[in-house]
Amino acid sequence: MSEKRQLQKAQTKEKITAAALKMYSENGFSTPTLAIANEAQVSHGSIFVHFPTVEDLLISSLDVFSKEIEKELLLLSDSDNDIATLLEMHIDVLIRHEDFYKRLIKETVYLPEETKNTFIAIQSTVSIHFLQALEKKMSEGKIKNVPFHMIFNTWLGLVHYYLLNSDLFTPKGSVLKQYKNSLIECFLTLIEK
Amino acid sequence: MKNCIACGMPMRKTSEFAMCDESKDYCVYCARPDGTMQSFEEKKENLTNFIIKTQGLSGEVAENAALSMMRKLPAWEDHFT
Repeated sequence: MSEKRQLQKAQTKEKITAAALKMYSENGFSTPTLAIANEAQVSHGSIFVHFPTVEDLLISSLDVFSKEIEKELLLLSDSDNDIATLLEMHIDVLIRHEDFYKRLIKETVYLPEETKNTFIAIQSTVSIHFLQALEKKMSEGKIKNVPFHMIFNTWLGLVHYYLLNSDLFTPKGSVLKQYKNSLIECFLTLIEK
Repeated sequence: MKNCIACGMPMRKTSEFAMCDESKDYCVYCARPDGTMQSFEEKKENLTNFIIKTQGLSGEVAENAALSMMRKLPAWEDHFT
């Protein structure tokens, strides 16, 4: 295949995954491929040239999303292991991807196993920085004696609850923007001695 | 900046490279005490235990997730072909 043709193929593939991410974010992961093709301005058949099955398209799109969000999450190491800064940076990353992330936590239970592993990998990146920040404070006796995974899951539980019920807390706009400070303060009060 | 071939972590500081050696392609967390890179089985076990410790997942789910992460990394390509 010529270089030009290869480049065109890669560009179309990129266009399709970008459209899929937008449509999944707006309408959920069961969005018909025809709607994705329309959004990407490609023929319906073109989708299946690049992604033989709907599941392939879903997994590839999620891979693109996870690479993007993980790149940002890795910068949590710039928090210098300060827990409040880390929590703030984590919420800021989620705000930038709020609609898609909300969709992911809402529908992940219905998605193929491979996508669940992508979700676990995303949380794994966050947890590395949590662990580094908390271990120091734990060894200084400043954090309540609770297993690390319960502390981490409590934070995720809190954030995810507000995201999943955003219509109850913030009918319009970003629930994370509005509740960012309250969530951080509440979580720190819960875990600190 | 390089990414660790065994776990994908970006290595931005010298201290993040195995043995603080920037010519290495793997990170300090994927190195054995003698500086050599962990084996596939060692890495799988470490990653699984890390997921259990940090996210509290069941052993089976954590191992599947660990394998899924390793599948995407250049160091383990041969193990998945």
